[in-house]
Amino acid sequence: MSLHNRVPLAGTALALALTLTGPACAQGVLRIGMTASDVPLTTGQADNGGEGMRFMGYTAYDALINWDLSRADRASELAPGLASSWKVDPADRTRWIFTLRPGVTFHDGSAFDAGAVVWNLDKILKQDSPQFDPRQSAQGRVRIPTVTGYKALDPMTVEITTKTPDATFPYQICWIMMSSPANWEKQGRSWDAVARAPSGTGPWKISGFVPRERAELVPNPAYWDKARVPKLDKLVLVPLPEANARVAALRSGQVDWIEAPAPDAVPSLKAAGFSLVTNLYPHNWTWHLSRAEGSPWNDIRVRKAANLAIDRDGLKEFLGGLATSAEGFLTPGHPWFGKPGFKLSYDPEAAKALLKEAGYGPSKPVATKILISASGSGQMQPLPMNEFLQQNLAEVGIKVDYEVVEWNTLINIWRAGSKSDSARGGTAMNYSYLIQDPFTAFIRHAQCSLQPPNGTNWGYYCDPQMDKLFDEVRTTFEPKDQVGVLRKIHEKFVDDALFLMVTHDVNPRAMSTKVRGFVQAQSWFQDFSPITMAK
Amino acid sequence: MILFILKRIGYAAPVALGVTVVCFLLVHLAPGDPLSAILPVDATAEMQAQMRSAYGFDKPLPVQYGLWLWKVLHGDLGTSIATGRPVLSEVSRAVSNSLILAAVATLIGFTFGTFFGFVAGYARDSWLDRVASAIAVFGVSVPHYWLGIVMVIVFSATLGWLPPTGAGPQGSGNWWPDPEHLRYLVLPAVTMSVIPMGVISRTVRALVGDILNQDFVQALRAKGLSEFGVFRHVVKNAAPTAIAIMGLQLGYLLGGSILIETVFAWPGTGFLLNAAIFQRDLPLLQGTILVLAMFFVTLNLLVDVVQTALDPRIERA
Amino acid sequence: MTAPTTLASVDPAGGAATAIETAELPIQGSRGYWGSVLRRLSRDPVAMAAALVILCIVLAAIFAPLIAPMDPFKGAMARRLRHVGDATYWLGSDELGRDMLSRLLYAGRLSLFMGVLPVVIAFFIGSGLGIVAGYAGGWVNTLIMRIIDVFFAFPSVLLAIALSGALGAGILNSIVSLTVVFVPQITRVAESVTVQIRNRDYVEAARVSGAHPFAVVRVQVLGNVLGPVFVYATSLISVSMILASGLSFLGLGVKPPEPEWGLMLNTLRTAIYVNPWVAALPGVMIFMTSISFNLVSDGLRSAMEVRQ
Repeated sequence: MSLHNRVPLAGTALALALTLTGPACAQGVLRIGMTASDVPLTTGQADNGGEGMRFMGYTAYDALINWDLSRADRASELAPGLASSWKVDPADRTRWIFTLRPGVTFHDGSAFDAGAVVWNLDKILKQDSPQFDPRQSAQGRVRIPTVTGYKALDPMTVEITTKTPDATFPYQICWIMMSSPANWEKQGRSWDAVARAPSGTGPWKISGFVPRERAELVPNPAYWDKARVPKLDKLVLVPLPEANARVAALRSGQVDWIEAPAPDAVPSLKAAGFSLVTNLYPHNWTWHLSRAEGSPWNDIRVRKAANLAIDRDGLKEFLGGLATSAEGFLTPGHPWFGKPGFKLSYDPEAAKALLKEAGYGPSKPVATKILISASGSGQMQPLPMNEFLQQNLAEVGIKVDYEVVEWNTLINIWRAGSKSDSARGGTAMNYSYLIQDPFTAFIRHAQCSLQPPNGTNWGYYCDPQMDKLFDEVRTTFEPKDQVGVLRKIHEKFVDDALFLMVTHDVNPRAMSTKVRGFVQAQSWFQDFSPITMAK
Repeated sequence: MILFILKRIGYAAPVALGVTVVCFLLVHLAPGDPLSAILPVDATAEMQAQMRSAYGFDKPLPVQYGLWLWKVLHGDLGTSIATGRPVLSEVSRAVSNSLILAAVATLIGFTFGTFFGFVAGYARDSWLDRVASAIAVFGVSVPHYWLGIVMVIVFSATLGWLPPTGAGPQGSGNWWPDPEHLRYLVLPAVTMSVIPMGVISRTVRALVGDILNQDFVQALRAKGLSEFGVFRHVVKNAAPTAIAIMGLQLGYLLGGSILIETVFAWPGTGFLLNAAIFQRDLPLLQGTILVLAMFFVTLNLLVDVVQTALDPRIERA
Repeated sequence: MTAPTTLASVDPAGGAATAIETAELPIQGSRGYWGSVLRRLSRDPVAMAAALVILCIVLAAIFAPLIAPMDPFKGAMARRLRHVGDATYWLGSDELGRDMLSRLLYAGRLSLFMGVLPVVIAFFIGSGLGIVAGYAGGWVNTLIMRIIDVFFAFPSVLLAIALSGALGAGILNSIVSLTVVFVPQITRVAESVTVQIRNRDYVEAARVSGAHPFAVVRVQVLGNVLGPVFVYATSLISVSMILASGLSFLGLGVKPPEPEWGLMLNTLRTAIYVNPWVAALPGVMIFMTSISFNLVSDGLRSAMEVRQ
């Protein structure tokens, strides 16, 4: 389909837009340079990790439960989305009842109802349903591993059942995007066709895309939350995986906003009049260690040694201060942080001693292969950062070799597990995690039953004690008590050095001063609705 | 002439077949199970079965090749692992973008190359020759991907005159040579043009020098032919080879654009190859290379035919 | 500078231009001839200067552990991206605070190795194939040369990328890919020179007189063929250097933290706004090496072309 009417100059493009749409909503075009190397999947369940969901998920689609992204001063919380309310059945705590929002329509005009919810869950969970989509399923399935059944109780009520009582379920279902069944029929029941003409319920409509080059979104004036109808005329997304290309594009005015500018470029961007926006968000940058047979990381002394070998403050300096050094798996000061006994200090001597104890030494270093990506959502500056780690680790006697793959490929390997052939013998992968809720923060990485292909316990870690703690979290519906259990879990994560815990990102984005009204939420996701562009 | 063309096609056909064999074997070069090389890591059982039968991995190699070639001849280059889109549609969009870039670069290179070549060839061993030759050596010796970075530093980052990446303000959709799109073309095209400029200039210099040294030119001069007449004569004799080199350069640039396209994020075949390599998308890699190599074979054929038609000295079979 | 009069121009994008006027290659196998070539070469100031540059780069690479002022692997975050002319880091420091001078010196080892080795291997394989094809003629020639034609159907950058891409990243894989790129080009030249020599009267006479084919090849053909092919191969080194660094630049060759010019160029790209000079240095090294090899090769060629 023809997506772009050719316009000679950016200035005239704007002028043209003004005359066409009238002055009421003439708020300009915002162009964003993403770190992804391709336009994220447009059919609903976006790929490309958290960034994909940020730009192609919560923009064009809604989940039953959304995130409240309106505030910058506190961690984002869940908010009603396509479900106006939800509750767990007190008699049977595996039953969740969702009351749907009335009067919502998809971009194609068809109505959203309980049938659509069931249809969408079938889309990713039921392999023999006609609308089953392997691509969306790959993205969505692992987000809701506990779901065992679902049905429409009436046109506006849906029941979803989980394997066991699970207090964290709302945090899982908020990942599942609702695409239009009517549109899928209209597009000849082909997801490839839907990808070119998608339809969701979100505040933005995908008006077109050129694969690998750009995507365009326009406001959905009929959005159910009138306060979140976008003010811009258009949102343009440009994949620019190379940090340098992003900076160059911003400086030359090709885009107005870039994700994750290279730290080295930040001072010069500021000097050139661009503004830098940062905020805390629930992120960590780790090496996920494999516990498969033969992995050196099965020895706790090696895991601890690696954690003691990293000069986290040096790394922070490399990142131009745009980071928080890790003190544990969660961000420092997090309510679930607890009091872990193992301190993540920089102590190469202690690290060497631990390695010696484990039977390694200068003549017999730990030698292993690590999977890393060249870019990606939340991965910060993976190449130089990993090179820095490589140097640190080499100094204590851990010799690592990198296998560099593209970000989406790394995600695929992450889902396939460290024992799969695709991991090519890598014993760890550099992966940044969204650590928003008990499930995304802990359970998905460490529960025995979530080993691939059932979940994303990439490293095949399994500890009955940990599983018992997880069960406790799931069955503790009283928030205050839940926090107590979560603290214990985090202490165990750190004391057992389950990950190589390195740093937390502060989500830097650089943008032109023309961008107005953006509130950077403490979240992986952001709301683009209130933004306007100054002339 | 027709006989010559037929003979030349008869010669190109087995080469083309050989190219398909090499491209086919690329998938088998990759370490590990060839099936895993062409499947997403979390492929479903149906997908695996489908691919296995499509590629016939359980059959002997020659049979697999036959099956694959049959599909290729019907325009089926397989499906990209990373995007799930047909490889042919990905490649055809990218080829047209690469062609724009390579053609403009060749044209720039040809213009400057012939100019420097003529200057140097006419003024042999003078300072003009030395300068022109130095420029030519620069052209063939400079790592063009580095030159690209330097160009971005100077013209985009520092001076802010030209956009550093991309094919146009709205991507490559609806590409048209209007001023806005041409601005995006300048840096990659000029960077890329240093290669054909160097090659063509060296060739033309040698040609012009040789022609001027030939006895009959001396004779023509002695007979009182004007300098312009001599020049015309030189052009006529140098043109077929120069044009042939230009044609081949177009092919080299089209196939060799990966580094430049990576530096400038130009959405062409090189960019696609880079993505294919890092996404381990072997069907896409295979398809792109097949299309580019076939293009090159065809171009070679055309160049031969054109050169023969232009050059009276080459005997037509 | 004097330039060659053949069409075998060096061509980073495509390797040898296909038109090689081997008819002009002098066929003089005697020691005296090579002596005179070297004498003429030594009187070419440009070629000699270039040869000196290569010598310096090679020596610097070999003796890098002795002359490098610092450890090329050890960096310090506090001292990163120093500018050229810094008191401690004469050529600045890189994105991880490692001394650029030391890294550039060490990088020469891998860069030269990966640039030169494929041409050397290809020289032996290609000459062998070419001589066999040219001397044997007939179906042997057809078989070898048709296979070679298939590889000629790939622009050389494309072929290198295709093979490296399929084989995966790594030094060994890069060398294999580049060797495959150069073998056909050298084979073609060797074959064409061999055919010319074979048809010379004295070789023909030796053949007719019943000399064993191996003896003929050894005595008459080898001596006359390897010289011109060697000169041709020298012109490929510059292409090979650029391609090998290009593969590393794309992430297909050397892996960090090994210093290599192409890879350094890649990792320093994010620093071009902070410290463009330091970021550009590895490219300067590739350029200097490549242009020097080209100039020496040009000089050698014109020294051979002067007819006695």
